[in-house]
Amino acid sequence: MGKDKPIVKDIDRSMYDFVKKEDDAYRTEEGLTPEIVLEISKEKNDPEWMRDFRLHSLEEYNRLKVPDWGPSIDGLDMDNIVTYVRPNAKRMVKDWNDVPEDIKDTFERLGIPQAERKSLAGVGAQYDSELVYHNVKDEAAEQGVVYTDIESALRGPYADMIRSHFMKLVPPTDHKFAALHGAVWSGGSFVYVPKGVHLDFPLQSYFRLNAKGAGQFEHTLIIVDEGAYLHFIEGCSAPKYNVANLHAGCVELYVGKNATLRYSTIENWSKNMYNLNTKRAVVDEGGKIEWISGSFGSHVSYLYPMSILKGRGARAEFTGVTFAGHGQNLDTGCKMVHSAPDTSSYVSTRSISKDGGISTFRSSVVINKQAKNSKSSVSCQSLMLDDISRSDTIPAMDIRTADADVGHEAKIGRISDDAVFYLMSRGLSEEDARALIVSGFADNVGKELPLEYAVEMNNLIRLEMKGANG
Amino acid sequence: MSETEQIRLNRLPAITWYWLNMNETAVPYSGTDGEAAAEVKIPSGVSESREKIEAKEEYRDLAEQPTGAGKHFSQLFEENGIRTRIFTTAAGAKPGAALKIRIPFESGRKTLNSFAFDLGRDSELTVIMDFTSDPEASGEAGVRTLFRLGENAVLKLVQITRTGSGFTLVNDIGGHESDSARTEVVQLNLDGGKVCQGYQIDLAGYKSSLKTDIAYRLKDSEHLDMNYFANHTGKKSECEINVTGVLRDTSSKILRATIDLKKGAKGAVGNEKEDVLLMDEGVRNQTIPLILCTEEDVEGNHGATIGRLDESLMFYLESRGLDREEIYEMMAAARIAAAAALIPDEETRSEVEQYIGAGSEE
Repeated sequence: MGKDKPIVKDIDRSMYDFVKKEDDAYRTEEGLTPEIVLEISKEKNDPEWMRDFRLHSLEEYNRLKVPDWGPSIDGLDMDNIVTYVRPNAKRMVKDWNDVPEDIKDTFERLGIPQAERKSLAGVGAQYDSELVYHNVKDEAAEQGVVYTDIESALRGPYADMIRSHFMKLVPPTDHKFAALHGAVWSGGSFVYVPKGVHLDFPLQSYFRLNAKGAGQFEHTLIIVDEGAYLHFIEGCSAPKYNVANLHAGCVELYVGKNATLRYSTIENWSKNMYNLNTKRAVVDEGGKIEWISGSFGSHVSYLYPMSILKGRGARAEFTGVTFAGHGQNLDTGCKMVHSAPDTSSYVSTRSISKDGGISTFRSSVVINKQAKNSKSSVSCQSLMLDDISRSDTIPAMDIRTADADVGHEAKIGRISDDAVFYLMSRGLSEEDARALIVSGFADNVGKELPLEYAVEMNNLIRLEMKGANG
Repeated sequence: MSETEQIRLNRLPAITWYWLNMNETAVPYSGTDGEAAAEVKIPSGVSESREKIEAKEEYRDLAEQPTGAGKHFSQLFEENGIRTRIFTTAAGAKPGAALKIRIPFESGRKTLNSFAFDLGRDSELTVIMDFTSDPEASGEAGVRTLFRLGENAVLKLVQITRTGSGFTLVNDIGGHESDSARTEVVQLNLDGGKVCQGYQIDLAGYKSSLKTDIAYRLKDSEHLDMNYFANHTGKKSECEINVTGVLRDTSSKILRATIDLKKGAKGAVGNEKEDVLLMDEGVRNQTIPLILCTEEDVEGNHGATIGRLDESLMFYLESRGLDREEIYEMMAAARIAAAAALIPDEETRSEVEQYIGAGSEE
């Protein structure tokens, strides 16, 4: 067998890496001060409690330390980040024709309206700091499904619901960037799926950050009531600039009794992005949260969706793939907290490191004293495609009851010569064999996505793997 | 009376979230009243010297050898002028008997002991270290064990801990292996109020290897804090870390086990495996197995099973007339016995087996 290895190219981001003129209507100064926070609050027409909440969050931000256990974020200087950019568009429209041409073109190039027509029950599109389009299909609306921007919800009939849930799962005291989010959040979606409603088609939010040196701080709040079902898809991208951009969104998910929520993310931020996102779900009795996560973009990523299993028999699954290429340091994983009897969690992840990329799988499984008869299984596999990259696994388990079963397995290695040999003996070239193996390695996520998204994700990986020679 | 400070120990090579409280541990330190008396049996073919290794150029690498506990602990030996007892084998020497070190710690004392094993090329040495005290003894003890292995040298290191319920013991190891050298570590934790132990072993040589078997049984409020770090820099270096144990009553343990496959360690393989049996409701188990990798041509694996006995196995044994308590005792003894069987010294092995048997009759 030849010793030459195929060259695995970077993911082609040209589809996402196009810049539109920054024709924003309003933006704050760079930096983070009480004045800027108050300015955002005024711009958003916040209720009083939210204004106070923002100021309190800013205090927490100033108090909390930058984490020292993950990738360096020295290149991120908050003094250079613009925390609020309102695009030159109406606040939010339900008719695609009312979206300004420039922004409409952006989302059309990303395939968002086409996806809405074909396979979605509703779409939200955020451009910089504001949602510019939000629509939910009649069939979903008739079942009582609420899918709107969170700021409208803050002032409408759901105001109390928002207030009682907003940043209750992820309090600003949680960590420095949760506090930052609390201070300057803007945009994002609110979803409510009523009791017993099974939404057959997914809802999707797409986040596009166009402004250079800006931050995006959208807040997603989803409540899936008893016995209901929802699949929510989140996508994001940005053009690449030579200065740091920041994404510090926050996702809070409430899964009711016997309800199921599938939350899928294909993250494809540009390689100048600091992705410091926080996602958390709490699951009631018999409920289930399913995280599907593909991390391909960003310069630096800190991303660990957390599942709190608080009701008897609650379940959580996390299926993820992370692809770290040149200039990327992606620290991803998940956290599982079992706080009720008969709960279960299942984690399956794949990491690929190439061309100097750094991929770290970081996880925790905590089984509390009251979570008797709970089970957890964690499997993480990492693939090193060259010797200039890095791949680490840092899984933690903390078991506080004897009445639990926990299994863990981790594996780091390279492409197996035996597997390549086997495929070559079946007629594949070495190049094809290696490309097929790498592609299959990441298939744990692809097979969990709707077909259209799986195809897109597989194209991202497979075509570039296939573009090998050697 | 000296002021008590906290010595931070057993820090992970790559830390994680602070809220888990797993990155490191700390033990109180309020000074030392010298070395504990050690009973040492030295076989022929082994020479002994006592040195302040920090001050001697020929031992500089030993003095600077990183260990599992870390630099804060190592500094205590230099600060307190503790001499290291260095046992040396000449090239090709293979003593027929084991070197035995027994330290019966006295209650109420705060001691520090330092040992080093300097094995010449092609030599082999078995070392048995037995840390004991009265069952109710209290006190603080630190033991540092350093080694450097010449080409093709083999060190078999057995450490048995059975200290008192009020005793805090830090048992620290650091070692360096040359080409084709091999270390086999067996650690048995049979009793001990609070024990912190671990190693950093640098697998620097081509085809250097490390095999570690650790077995523990914890009861009452005993706590075992472990930090093992296999540092692969040598090509085709290999390590295997096996940890098994049982937790009873309100005991607790944390295992940090790291395989670091560094750039250049082509063909290196690291495997770690853990099996923990949780027997009573008040126990707490923490595990954090790291695999760090900056080399492509390597393989690293980790597997862990933590929890109760398999229900079908339980049913089978119950159907044979055993009650649950007997089954658990049997399983606990079996785990220790399996590791004890690896002790390459007949006298020590039977003593341990007897000790385990005596324990289960109580």
